[in-house]
Amino acid sequence: MYKVVVPGDFISEEVARAGDGTYVEDGKVYAMKYGIVHDKGEIKVVALTGKYVPTNGDIVIGKIIEISFPYWIVDIASPYEARLHTSEFARGTERRMDFGSMSNYLDLGDLIVAKVLNVDALMRVDLALRDDFRIGDQGRLVEILHTKVPRVIGRSGSMIKMLKEKCNCFIFIAKNGRIWIKGREENMNLALQAVLMIDNEAHTSGLTDRVAHFLDQSCKKKREENGE
Amino acid sequence: MKEEGIELIKDGKRLDGRGFEELRPMKIEVGVLKRADGSCYFEMGNNKALAAVYGPREMHPRHLQNAKTAVVNYRYNMAPFSVDERKRPGPDRRSVEISKVSREAIEPVILKEHYPKTAIDIYVELLQSDAGTRTAGINAASVALADAGIPMRDLVSSVAVGKIEGEVVLDLNAAEDNHGDADMPLAMVTRTGTITMLQMDGRLTKDEFERGLKLATNACREIYELQRTALIEKYSESIGGGEE
Amino acid sequence: MGIEVMEDIRKDYVYDLIESGKRVDGRGFRDYREISVERDIIIKAEGSALVRLGDTSVLVGVKLDIGEPFSDTPNKGVLMTNTELRPGASPDFETGPPNENSVELARVVDRGIRGSEAIDLEKLCIEEGEKVWMTFIDIHALDNDGNLMDAAALGAIASLLNTRIPNERYGLTGEDTLSIRDTPVAVTMVKIGENILVDPNLHEENAATSRLTVISNADGTVSGMQKSGREGLKEEEIVEMVEIGIEKAGEIREKYLGDK
Repeated sequence: MYKVVVPGDFISEEVARAGDGTYVEDGKVYAMKYGIVHDKGEIKVVALTGKYVPTNGDIVIGKIIEISFPYWIVDIASPYEARLHTSEFARGTERRMDFGSMSNYLDLGDLIVAKVLNVDALMRVDLALRDDFRIGDQGRLVEILHTKVPRVIGRSGSMIKMLKEKCNCFIFIAKNGRIWIKGREENMNLALQAVLMIDNEAHTSGLTDRVAHFLDQSCKKKREENGE
Repeated sequence: MKEEGIELIKDGKRLDGRGFEELRPMKIEVGVLKRADGSCYFEMGNNKALAAVYGPREMHPRHLQNAKTAVVNYRYNMAPFSVDERKRPGPDRRSVEISKVSREAIEPVILKEHYPKTAIDIYVELLQSDAGTRTAGINAASVALADAGIPMRDLVSSVAVGKIEGEVVLDLNAAEDNHGDADMPLAMVTRTGTITMLQMDGRLTKDEFERGLKLATNACREIYELQRTALIEKYSESIGGGEE
Repeated sequence: MGIEVMEDIRKDYVYDLIESGKRVDGRGFRDYREISVERDIIIKAEGSALVRLGDTSVLVGVKLDIGEPFSDTPNKGVLMTNTELRPGASPDFETGPPNENSVELARVVDRGIRGSEAIDLEKLCIEEGEKVWMTFIDIHALDNDGNLMDAAALGAIASLLNTRIPNERYGLTGEDTLSIRDTPVAVTMVKIGENILVDPNLHEENAATSRLTVISNADGTVSGMQKSGREGLKEEEIVEMVEIGIEKAGEIREKYLGDK
C-alpha cells in the first residue's frame, strides 16, 4: 500500500508526472525526500519531516516577534520569517499608524491567524490578516510537524470533523502545523491527546477509527468517574 | 607511521579476525534525538558517531546568508573521552580539516536551492573513536539529513582503505591505522558512482591505489544498503504490517 | 551583490573558453605556469625557498629548534607544518586564526612529506626521550593567483633540501644538514566542465567544480592525496588524474629539484 523511499531511489520513467518531492535526471524520476510515494495523477513523495515553507494562499498561525515599522515581523514556524504591513491592519479605515502606536494594535507575543499574500524570489513573505485574526489568551496553541496537518484534517475533513464532535471543542488547524484549540479544560485535554496520537501514528492505516475509539473510551471513562 | 614489534596480519587474518576485504560490524539507528530535526547514531566497529541535523533554519549572521541557496555547515567533533589519551575539548586543526572534507563529501547531493538564505547545520559527535571516524560521521550525517527531510539527490556512503604489511585492506581500525603504511578515506554516491571525498596519507604504488579504490567503492555500496534499510525500516515500523 | 555578479560573469568566460579547448593565459591543459624556485633567500631561517608559480608566490621558511619528542616516538624528531594566508596576499584573506583552507593546505603539505618519509626523523634524535630537533615548516603565502598548494609543497621540499642544522647555536656537534631521502612533489588538477586542467590559476580555481591534489615521490609511489570542491569525481577521472600527477611531478622534480 505505502511505498517508502529514500533520496535517490528510482520511482518511475513517467517524467511528465513528476511532482513534489521528486527530481528528474536522464529521463527518470527519482525521490528527493525520505517519505512515501503517492502515485495518483502526480508522482509525489510526501515527506514525514521537513520545515514548513510558505506558499501563496496558505493560512497560518503566526506570533509577533518584532516591531519594525512599517512591519510587524511574524514567526510562522518556518526557516523564513513573515511580515505584516501596517496598511493590512488599517485597511478600509482612516487609521494611520506610526512606530509608537503599532504595539497598540499588535504587540510582541501576540498570536494571529493570517493568510500568506505573497512570497517573492528573495523569500520575503507578506501576510494579510483574516477578519477574525486575533487569537486571544483563550484556549491552547499546539505545534506539530506541518507534514502531519493533512492527517489531522483527514480525507475530506473526516478526522477533524470527528475530533470537533467527540471533543466538543473549537479546533483550528493552520497549514504551518499550529493548532488552536478552544473549549473547556477537560475537552481541550482530550483534543490534545487525540492530536498527539495522530502525530505519533500519522502514517498508519485505520487511524481515524482508532482515534475515534480512543475518544469514545476516554469519554466513557470520564462519565464513569463522574458517576453517571 | 610504521612501528616495529607489532604483527598486524597473522595466518592470513587481521588482528581482529577479519579478512582483508571485510568491513567491521555496523549498527544504525535513525531519529534518536528529540531536539534535532534529524539524527542518526552509527556504529562502525568501535566507532560511535552521533549526527544531529538542524535546519533549514534562519542563518545568522545575516551577512553570511546566501541569497540563492542554503548554507551547509558541518562540525566534526571528538569527545574528550573518545580516545585512549584524552583529547582536549574544542576544535583543533584536524577537526577543522575533517569538517571541511566531510562537508564537501555531502554537499554535492544536497539540493540547497530549495531553501535560500537559510542554514543547514550538521553536527557530528564522535563518542568513541577507533580510526575511520570521519567515514562513520559521514555515514551518520547522510542518514540524519534524510531523517530531517532535507531534499537530496542521493545518500552518501563512506569508508577507508589502507595498507598494512604490504596488503591492501578495508576499513582500518586504530591499531592498523597507527602501524600501517597508508590510509585512504573515501566517500561515494552509490547510484552514480561519483566520489565526493578522497584523501590519502602514507605511501602506495599506483596499482595499490587502484586496488584500494575498487575495494572502497564496493564497500560503499554495501554500506549504502545498510543506510537505506535503516531508513525504510524506521518508517515501516509505524505503518501497520511492513509494506514496500 | 555587485561583486558576486562580476565573479559569475568571470566564471562563465573561463568555462566557455575551456570548452573550446583554451585557457585564459594560452596554456595547454597539462601545462604548468612558469615556475621559479629561489633557495636560501632568508638567511635567518635554517632553510628557505621562494616559489613562484605564474603570479602566485609562496615563501617557505624552515626553522629548527630543540625540544621534547612525542611520547610515542621518543627517538624521532618532530615535524610541524603551518600555513599563513597573509591578508596582503589576497582581498579574500583575513587576519585571525587559520581558517579551514589554511589548515587544509598545511596538513596536506605535511602529509606529503611525512608519507614519503623524506626527512629521516631518527637522525634528528639528540637524546632519546629527552631532546630532539623539531623541524618547523612555515608556509607564508605572499600572493595568491591560484594553486597555493603546489607552490607551498614545492617550497617545502626545496627548503628542506638545503636546511642546515644549527648545531653551533646549542653547542652541539653532528650532521650539519637535514638528511632528506625523497622528494615529494604535489600536482593539483581541477575539473571544469568535463575537462581536467593542471595548475589552475585563481579564476580557474573559482570556476572549478572539483580539485584533486596528488603528491608523489621519485619512485612513482603516491604519498598524499586530497580532493576538495563542491562536486564529485568519477573513479576513471581520479585514476587519470593520479597518472597525470605522477608524470608532472617527475617533470618538476627533474627541473627544479634535480641538483640536490
